[in-house]
Amino acid sequence: MRFVKPLEKNQQAANLSFGGELFKYGSSTIPMPFLTASYGYGFDSTLTGFASLNISSGLYKNLQLGFGATKQLFTQKKYSPGLSVSPAFEFIYQNQNAVKFYPQLAINAFWEYGKHKNLVFLGVDNWFELASKKAYEIKQENHWIFMPAIGHGFCGKKGMFTIEARVIAPNLSNEKLVVEYKTPFGTHGAFGVYIGYTRKF
Amino acid sequence: MKKIFPFLLVIATLTGCLDLDDNLYNPSKIDAYRLDEYKGDVDFHLDLSYHIPDSLVHIFTLASQANDESAATTIYAIYVGSISRIATDTVILYCHGNKDHMDAYWPRAQLLANTKSKNRFGVMMIDFRGYGMSDGEPSEKGLYADADAAMKWLKSQGLTDNRLVIYGYSMGTAPATKLAAETYSMKPSKLILEAPFASAETMVQDGSGLALPGDFFTTLSINNGEEIKSVQQPFFWIHGEADDFLNIETHGQVVFSNYTGSYSEAHRIPGADHTSIQTTMGFQSYMDVVGDFITLH
Repeated sequence: MRFVKPLEKNQQAANLSFGGELFKYGSSTIPMPFLTASYGYGFDSTLTGFASLNISSGLYKNLQLGFGATKQLFTQKKYSPGLSVSPAFEFIYQNQNAVKFYPQLAINAFWEYGKHKNLVFLGVDNWFELASKKAYEIKQENHWIFMPAIGHGFCGKKGMFTIEARVIAPNLSNEKLVVEYKTPFGTHGAFGVYIGYTRKF
Repeated sequence: MKKIFPFLLVIATLTGCLDLDDNLYNPSKIDAYRLDEYKGDVDFHLDLSYHIPDSLVHIFTLASQANDESAATTIYAIYVGSISRIATDTVILYCHGNKDHMDAYWPRAQLLANTKSKNRFGVMMIDFRGYGMSDGEPSEKGLYADADAAMKWLKSQGLTDNRLVIYGYSMGTAPATKLAAETYSMKPSKLILEAPFASAETMVQDGSGLALPGDFFTTLSINNGEEIKSVQQPFFWIHGEADDFLNIETHGQVVFSNYTGSYSEAHRIPGADHTSIQTTMGFQSYMDVVGDFITLH
């Protein structure tokens, strides 16, 4: 889960988020249990740097780290949303033969409202697959995985509880796969749900 | 933050505990084999014309032991046919899929036992360790050891390599391909793969849309797409074009395309999914193509 709105200058934050694509597991539908811990630091009020550790990936003996920054491009003016962009990358390491690097770019529009400055955001996250081949030297056709997202942050004095829904790769068929994704959008893409808690200090 | 650190410590302690290997197996335990009387889920039912007389159905146990195992595991097997004729018959060793047990695959074994004519071929089927009444837990190593235990028994009954055909369905395509490609107790003379998978890595890549290494999620070394390159025996591939579990293009076609042996034939079945090749083709058509491959090539 990204820092949609940058932190204040010199402010720090820790985040835990959980969730993933909904899929059929036995007779139930559950989200993929991705658990990620993140840390953010406000370099100034429009630029936050962040790093993340994918804990679920660690349970599979992978080191999965993410690094990036959130830059606010426009501030909110009444109903006109604030806009931020978050370039980042994920690095995943298992062994010498299993290393991946994924550039990412998230763009989010957000609105703060109310006394507690609750946050509504709407955006799109993008992952880029750099590999030209996959198993058996077969051409990797998909190089751009995009994920429209909508979310809401409930703010307290020191923290924010966030819920988010994502549509993952709605341009790709989800048929004829070992994984049976459950999505309201039928035969394409996957639908992910996420919850997170950010503590500011 | 102070509360987060202990939590992360627990997670870190657990790091390295998980993989998706066990998801390959979906066994069920039972206390007796019921075969014709089995009331659980099967992919199709056969009428009485396919019935095999009880005198030609033999259920027994085998001791299965991989080279690096200190003790044998008892697994169950069924031989369909006259055991006294194994020394002269052609025998199909059937390696079943990843779910349930031999009762669920009994109609499939019956079809093979009716191929060409009733009991024209002997058919042997095993429950891999952890399946049905077999002891132990499923494992990749166990798949190979258990199928090899069946070959050892067939060899002890007088079967020779030139009369052994190995048939794998879905998960069973892994031991079938492995035992056809490498040196085990016997060298099957022909390989039949129904709905094979290429590798765990292909499953990961299909599911994610990304070129992720399989190592991120599994320690399974099963790789039919590579193993098939070492198979020189005649090869028969059959796969449903509507297979919604193991995609015909990313799995089956890869295995078929990588075969470089002496003879191969492909049967892509329009409209058939992972479990319905026989019903989509019609039982007789299915038996005809399988039987022709065994007898003519």
